[in-house]
Amino acid sequence: MRPDPALELLEVYDTALPHVHGYLLSRCRDRTLAQDLTAETFLAAVTAARQQPMPAITTGWLIGVARHKLADHWRRVEREQRGLQLVRTTAYQTNDPWDVEIDTVVAHQVLDALGAHHRAALTLRYLDGLPVAQVAEHLGRTVHATEALLVRARSAFRAAYENPEGVR
Amino acid sequence: MTDPLNTLREPITPVDPDPAFAAELRSRLERALLAPQGATMTTTVETPSQTLGCYLAVNDARSALDFYELAFGARRRGEPIVMDDGRIGHAELTIGDSVLMLADEFAEIGLLSPRTRGGASQSLYLRVSEPDAVDVTVRDAVEAGARLERAAADYDYGRNAVVVDPSGHRWMISSAPAATPAPKHGDLAYLTHAVADSGRARAFYGAVLGWTFTPGRVQDGWQIEGTNPPAGMHGGAAQPGIEPVYQVDDLVAALAAVHDHGGQAGEPRQQPYGRIAECIDDQGTHFQLLEP
Repeated sequence: MRPDPALELLEVYDTALPHVHGYLLSRCRDRTLAQDLTAETFLAAVTAARQQPMPAITTGWLIGVARHKLADHWRRVEREQRGLQLVRTTAYQTNDPWDVEIDTVVAHQVLDALGAHHRAALTLRYLDGLPVAQVAEHLGRTVHATEALLVRARSAFRAAYENPEGVR
Repeated sequence: MTDPLNTLREPITPVDPDPAFAAELRSRLERALLAPQGATMTTTVETPSQTLGCYLAVNDARSALDFYELAFGARRRGEPIVMDDGRIGHAELTIGDSVLMLADEFAEIGLLSPRTRGGASQSLYLRVSEPDAVDVTVRDAVEAGARLERAAADYDYGRNAVVVDPSGHRWMISSAPAATPAPKHGDLAYLTHAVADSGRARAFYGAVLGWTFTPGRVQDGWQIEGTNPPAGMHGGAAQPGIEPVYQVDDLVAALAAVHDHGGQAGEPRQQPYGRIAECIDDQGTHFQLLEP
């Protein structure tokens, strides 16, 4: 009988934990939430590790699981707060090229204040540097819908970045 | 041109969590690994509190569960009950504060999905938080495989659209009409009608515009019900007229500007709805400024 492949999780736990936690903390910037999502990630990994084909249980694979948990979290938030965010984000549309040097401190504040669906799209695309197709996969949307979402998210980001007063 | 947002790229920096958390998670992980496989970790599912719920027959329950999750943000509630023949005999989802139950078709007892029957005989009414959410929900539903039957449009009772899901169930997605946006700096926030005889004025405007009135906070003061912007009336005025109240972000700064530009600025008064001051512009027109 083959051993339970999920048992490998205990072997990588100590090494992987700070990476998974660090990833989630830097993206959601909330200690409690980062801990909750870290726990969700490892517990979900138990089931995922037993699937066929068997994944290689590495820190990188766990970050992928964490990314899914983060996207799921933002999707829940978006559903719950959908109304508010839409009002905010439909206000601004522009096709002007935008050529500035982004202040990352301000950028993080802006991200915190954006609607969850915009924040999710921008985080996966820019902080994680994923290609659009992978962003789409994490968000459970088509590539086409994700491209459109990214356009709207960038507009909302730019509007909030240029007018921080407007973000509440 | 490079994308300025590319500079946000953030490599992963390991951060040790609280050691107590790390130890507790390790023991949870150990318990999860030892739990019998196939058992779920979910807690007891509470009984729904709603009086009337719906229980749908669908032609592919597993796909339907996925569809409702993607389209309407449903969340699974407990584990589906799988019958010996592989059909799902019972499954539950929550949508907002409602529970949606569903099962595969059981033709032997006449439970067929609308798709198999040839059409729905009822609609499911899904209420969303505000008008734009109708459009987003319709988009998600269509993307998840629904057919758009009636595009979103505004009606007196709110914004509304109809989609038909893959099992043939007809969903009306509705929201109440948009709330009036809150006034911002520079907006007309309120109108005060100063009249000599409030009884005559109420009779006149009631007959001409259909206004109704409720007694206000001050003697012979009246609120006009339901107008936009909100308005009030007071009787006994020596000089009848209509005085606008404009909203400002900073009353002190606005009063200074009135003064600097040749107007007359009164003293701010604290009222239950904010701080307000009477002003006269440089040509003699009266108005008030309000910082809510």
